[in-house]
Amino acid sequence: MAEHVIEVEDLTKNYGDVTAIDGVSFSVNEGEIFSLVGPNGAGKTTTVEILECLREPTSGKAKVLGHDIRKEEMKIKEQIGVMPQDFNTFDRLTAKENIKLAADIYDKSGAEEIIKKVGVKEFENKRFEDLSGGMKTRVGIGMALVSDAPLLFLDEPTTGLDPQARRETWSLIKGLKRMNKTVFLTTHYMEEVEELSDRAAVIIDGDIKITDSISNLIERYGGGVKITASKEKGAEELIKKNSDEVTEEDKDELTGIFEDREKARKTLISLFKKDCNVSVEEAGMDEVFLELAGGKLTEEGELA
Amino acid sequence: MKKFISLFRALIKNWFRSKSGVFFSFLFPVMLLLIFSTVFGGQESVEYTLHVQNNDLVERYEFSLDQNYTRYLENGTVHEEMREAFEEKDHTISPDASMSKTGDKSWEINDNDRWYGLEENETKIDVYTLGDQVTCLSENFTKGLRKTETLDIVTLDRDVNVTEYFEDDTSFGESRRALIISRGFQEKALDKSMELRMKVIQDTMDRIGDQYDMNESEEENFTERQEMVDRWANRTKTGESAEVLLLTSEGDQVAPIIEGTVYGVVNNFNQRMMGVEDSTVEVESESIGRKDLEGADYYLPGLIAAFIMTNGIIGVTGTISEYKRNGTLKRLISTPLTKANWIFANVAQQTVLAFLLTGVMVLLGVVVFGVQVYPNLYALGFIFVGAVAFCSVGIVLGGLIKDVEAANGAGNAIAFPMMFLSGAFWPLERMPSYMQSVAKVLPLYYFHRGLTEIMILQDPSGAVVPFLIISVFGVIFMILATKVTRWKDM
Ligand SMILES: Nc1ncnc2c1ncn2[C@@H]1O[C@H](COP(=O)(O)OP(=O)(O)O)[C@@H](O)[C@H]1O
Ligand SMILES: [Mg+2]
Repeated sequence: MAEHVIEVEDLTKNYGDVTAIDGVSFSVNEGEIFSLVGPNGAGKTTTVEILECLREPTSGKAKVLGHDIRKEEMKIKEQIGVMPQDFNTFDRLTAKENIKLAADIYDKSGAEEIIKKVGVKEFENKRFEDLSGGMKTRVGIGMALVSDAPLLFLDEPTTGLDPQARRETWSLIKGLKRMNKTVFLTTHYMEEVEELSDRAAVIIDGDIKITDSISNLIERYGGGVKITASKEKGAEELIKKNSDEVTEEDKDELTGIFEDREKARKTLISLFKKDCNVSVEEAGMDEVFLELAGGKLTEEGELA
Repeated sequence: MKKFISLFRALIKNWFRSKSGVFFSFLFPVMLLLIFSTVFGGQESVEYTLHVQNNDLVERYEFSLDQNYTRYLENGTVHEEMREAFEEKDHTISPDASMSKTGDKSWEINDNDRWYGLEENETKIDVYTLGDQVTCLSENFTKGLRKTETLDIVTLDRDVNVTEYFEDDTSFGESRRALIISRGFQEKALDKSMELRMKVIQDTMDRIGDQYDMNESEEENFTERQEMVDRWANRTKTGESAEVLLLTSEGDQVAPIIEGTVYGVVNNFNQRMMGVEDSTVEVESESIGRKDLEGADYYLPGLIAAFIMTNGIIGVTGTISEYKRNGTLKRLISTPLTKANWIFANVAQQTVLAFLLTGVMVLLGVVVFGVQVYPNLYALGFIFVGAVAFCSVGIVLGGLIKDVEAANGAGNAIAFPMMFLSGAFWPLERMPSYMQSVAKVLPLYYFHRGLTEIMILQDPSGAVVPFLIISVFGVIFMILATKVTRWKDM
């Protein structure tokens, strides 16, 4: 097997005048959860569907599991599991029937086992049309998983789910990693990226701004650690001295932003020793995204 | 193969569990067959005499008048110029004869007991008189009266004036009853039969619509089809129905029984009319020793053909565009399934559905209505070809049209007119001639005609041309289907 599970080089896709993705390059390592994160219309689905051989790229190269996406379509389709965006399947078949259908299509036998694994057992005999969003997602992951493929593509698997269902889906996806699957995930939820992925690529307007591990991203673009303390027992002086920037949102409190984590750690210890009233806020993907895109993503995935 | 079979099973199941799907492709045709096939009822042993005068004679072409005479076509007395023209052709018309308009391009002249029919066409006016033969339908109606075994039918000559006849001759006593079948009986009855059939279709849909709980999109689909049928129903409305006149004397004790029996026959006849083949075909088929086409015989193959057609053009178009819209198709495309798997699974599903439908319809036809059907390999082959052909049309439409509503609309807009124009439900000869020419370019026409030849007339050789036409049509659409169905960049 190739060193990288997915290799993408200078991939471009135009729909008429619209350039959906514009010369993107990245690679995905074996066994990792890789997130492609960006607002609606950024080109996530286009990228995923080119890799799934559902779309022909306008130019550029890509290999999936060592196979050329232009020449070895069937080989790729046999070795990947897919859950399309807004996933749907035969409405009036039951959850079980749909998963069995997928197993038959991939010529695999493990449907029963997968049904238990993805938590579909308790509603396996309900029709797909009668399932809740979270249940449908489970069926979708199940249908991708019965392929027994080493690589899974999940295009916005948690969009539109309630928080509870989203968390359940997350733990399911984490389980995939334990099964040694490589997962290619797209999302516009920063929390999801942090929670699940090893590495992420940030895509905006068809252009990948950066690809790196989550901790590197946060460290480089997260804008540091925020420490807030009451103005007492010398906390004010300590923060002003060590931090890179100070803001005061409350007349009794003050917040310092620390670019250097080590410095932040030391300051925090000193504050604790003085028994100050302290709260800490670590930067996350939200801040990374803000830095890279100049805006935040709403719940619906719009750049604001 | 396993892929194909599982997909095929999934399509079948998904169809079978759809209420509106099963209704339209299966229950509806079966119900229409049942309703269309109500036949003659009870029998009694006592016989009562009834005199029948049949005035519904076959019209006979006499001569044509020049187009110039069109200007003399007017209600009232017959213009002198017109009378002279008739005179030249050896037909004398008295000055007190009257002319009246009877249809769009038809007129009649009544001159005492003589009658002339005038038909305008592009270049001339054709003149008809009455021949000596009674029309096929009026004859059948008389036969129907005879069959009741309640009535002993005595034929009255046409030159007898019925009212005077009874007044003069007292020896008839109790049996002074007469039924007069008036001129135009066949024509009006056939017109009416079309209207009646449409009404049955409408009623069936309405009743089902009320009892079935459907979801929103099913309901929408249903309403759209109902409107389609309503529109056609309005077009087939003719108004006048065929009339028979029953004369009984005042003191006749059994008059109510006679009336009831005649009424029953009229009623049954009306229902039966819904499947009676036109006279020309019947006479023709008798003369060359074929079976008569009556009732269920006629519309069994018609209904089968029509519904295989709609299952393909409406059903497949709708489901494929829906699978496209809701992402089920994308789900399938991203697996190792091939385009061929997909197309053949759909075709296989339609074929199975077509065989199932044919099986149930034929079974009902044979068991309930005693139709003599000859199911054979030719019939299976022809049904297979038809199912493939019409399913391919559905795949093409579903592949071409992105929007689900538009796809459903297109399916309905093609299938419904085809269904009603092709003569699958009523004799084609009843329809205006331009519609008849339209029918002959419709694939459904050849499909049901061919099926009739094979299944009912037991004459597979008569189905060769229809079979070839449907095969070529099927191959063309099959090729189009593979071209139009996108397996990438959809
Ligand atoms: N089939 C298509 N035809 C034309 N434009 C498209 C098509 N699919 C996507 N696009 C456009 O390409 C861009 C990227 O879309 P997409 O890949 O779906 O983004 P995302 O998945 O990140 O929301 C958008 O501007 C979208 O409008
Ligand atoms: Mg998308």
